[in-house]
Amino acid sequence: MGRLFVVNLEGKIYSCKHCRTHLALCEDIVSKVSFHSRHGKAYLFSKVVNVTMGEKEERMMMTGRHTVVDIFCVGCGSIVGWKYETAHEKSQKYKEGKSVLERFKVSGPDGSSYWANHEVSQLIAGSDADDV
Amino acid sequence: MGGVEDDEPASKRMKLACRELKGNPNDSLLSEPSFGSSRDLMARLLQSEEDEVIGSKGVIKKVEFVQIIAKALYSLGYKKSGAHLEEESGIPLHSSAVNMFMHQILDGNWGESVATLHSIGLKDESTVKSASFLILEQKFFELLDGGKVMDALKTLRTEIAHLCASSNQLRELSSNLSSNQVNLRAKSRPKLLQELQELLPPTIMVPERRLEQLVEQALTLQRDACVFHNSLDREISLYTDHQCGRDQIPSRTLQILEAHSDEVWFLNFSHNGKYLASSSNDQSAIIWEVGTNGEVSLKHKLSGHHKPVSSVSWSSDDGKLLTCGVEESVRCWDVSSGECLHVYEKSGPGLVSCGWSPDGKSIFSGVNDRSICMWDLDGKEVENWKGQRTLRISDLEITRDGKQIMSIFKETAILLFDREAKSERVIEEDQTITSFSLSRDNRYLLVNLVGPEIHLWNIDGDINLVAKYKGHKRTRFVIKSCFGGSEQAFVASGSEDSQVYIWHRGSEELIGKLSGHSGSVNCVSWNPVNPHMLASASDDGTIRIWGLNSHLQQHKKLQQVHSNGGSMAAAYNGRT
Repeated sequence: MGRLFVVNLEGKIYSCKHCRTHLALCEDIVSKVSFHSRHGKAYLFSKVVNVTMGEKEERMMMTGRHTVVDIFCVGCGSIVGWKYETAHEKSQKYKEGKSVLERFKVSGPDGSSYWANHEVSQLIAGSDADDV
Repeated sequence: MGGVEDDEPASKRMKLACRELKGNPNDSLLSEPSFGSSRDLMARLLQSEEDEVIGSKGVIKKVEFVQIIAKALYSLGYKKSGAHLEEESGIPLHSSAVNMFMHQILDGNWGESVATLHSIGLKDESTVKSASFLILEQKFFELLDGGKVMDALKTLRTEIAHLCASSNQLRELSSNLSSNQVNLRAKSRPKLLQELQELLPPTIMVPERRLEQLVEQALTLQRDACVFHNSLDREISLYTDHQCGRDQIPSRTLQILEAHSDEVWFLNFSHNGKYLASSSNDQSAIIWEVGTNGEVSLKHKLSGHHKPVSSVSWSSDDGKLLTCGVEESVRCWDVSSGECLHVYEKSGPGLVSCGWSPDGKSIFSGVNDRSICMWDLDGKEVENWKGQRTLRISDLEITRDGKQIMSIFKETAILLFDREAKSERVIEEDQTITSFSLSRDNRYLLVNLVGPEIHLWNIDGDINLVAKYKGHKRTRFVIKSCFGGSEQAFVASGSEDSQVYIWHRGSEELIGKLSGHSGSVNCVSWNPVNPHMLASASDDGTIRIWGLNSHLQQHKKLQQVHSNGGSMAAAYNGRT
């Protein structure tokens, strides 16, 4: 691949588990508790860097219909979460423009990883289930 | 001047004056052009002709049109034709008063010419005054040159003094009375006439070369509107509106250079267009030579870095080259020998960019601790600008006067700091900046954004956004763009879809997409001396030289250049 362009963050950083590319700052977390993916916990961030976006998709989530794009790490291309483009329910509009990073895909500020809780994933119906 | 009123427009007054049946006794003695029998042709000037217009839009006044043609004929030296045109059309070039004035000047009838000047019908008193001054000044100098000092003094006192703009002017003139200058002081009479012509309004005396001026205006407009215009020669024909075809833009691969063994990330032509330098993920840089027939060949392979080489910088005289290893060191190379002259590094932090000072005595480098430092050629650190000056991925540009240093210092902003004045300016963008380049005239900055989008900023004087260019692809890599072509009329960029994109700078119109590479095109460089040569660097490990379609037919496509003895690595596909 070419000369990778990455933004380097300062502070408490969440980075890609595979290639350590910076993805987001702790201070940009909007919500830690309400999001889940099939791999477990996921956090909602107001700003995410160094990701590329996939195709727009309509997804039915627990909270309603949303238009989302999958986001991929620019360094290694692995999928790290998704971004909300449009929320069709008024109460969910606050998510628009924000991104979710799956805890399983990132290394936390202290370098910690998160191991998927398989019991939890079996309880959640469908893929990329949203908050309850 | 019977029958002429002062509050009528000058042009109308002139035309009315034309109709006067004033003859000039010196008719036959005239050496200067413009009339044989103005008496007759004035009589023929009809009332209706005054307002007659020609041309499809009805905006060209016939009288003015014929007059500027007559003027052009005279300045081309076709006196007979000029006079004939005046006669045949019945449109005299100048009013009789003006004609008389012109002859009086050339004959040296100063007093009479000043009198005529007052009757020509000038509205502006100051013009009359300035013109009178010029005439009498000529009289003064001619008297002096003729040795008639007393007469000159008298002229100065009685005629010129009250016309002087300042006492200094008067003093300056009088100083000529005492000096014993051998050379002639007076200018030639035709030259005086020319100066007077420039002083007088165009309605009184048709300006010299007006027709040529109008034609040049039209040609300039045509050329500016020509989106593909890219010629060195100014061969614009008057027969048809100028419109270049696409064939003036480089669009065909003339050569594929394959000496790098990995992705090529950067390339740049030297200032004199005789060399091309490229740098690669293979940790080397290469200096290529551009032959007189446009053929590019390998000159030196520069090895030594232990990291990918992200950029190069040519010294002003193209005698030396700097290369920057990513977060490593900067090396200085001698272009003719290929020898590494020096390695610049810091113990601890790595270097991220490099640039020459215009005088070639110092080098600049961005450091991954955000600072920028300056070394002398021996490697002694001369200066250090701490604080947030640059980012880990940033270009570094230095203006030709050595004063301004530019780098990306925030995600969305470029810092331009004047190291002499110690002042700073900032370009703020609305998205993340990935790279930028400075135009060769240092007046513009081309900024590449994540979008992807390219923004053209004017940095000469007030900073302002001038244009935007879109269409290319970028999601992951640093893709660079550049100015190029004749008059820097184009903007070219690399793209992750493996094509080279070319826009017309002024209109922002995308005018070319060049295919050929099999990997992301990371950087482009347009030969500053040859507007028809463009080079591109790609993830496929090759460099392509692009030229005109016609060049491809002329000399056969050259063989791919192989590296000396090295093995050819498989070409990378950038979209891993």
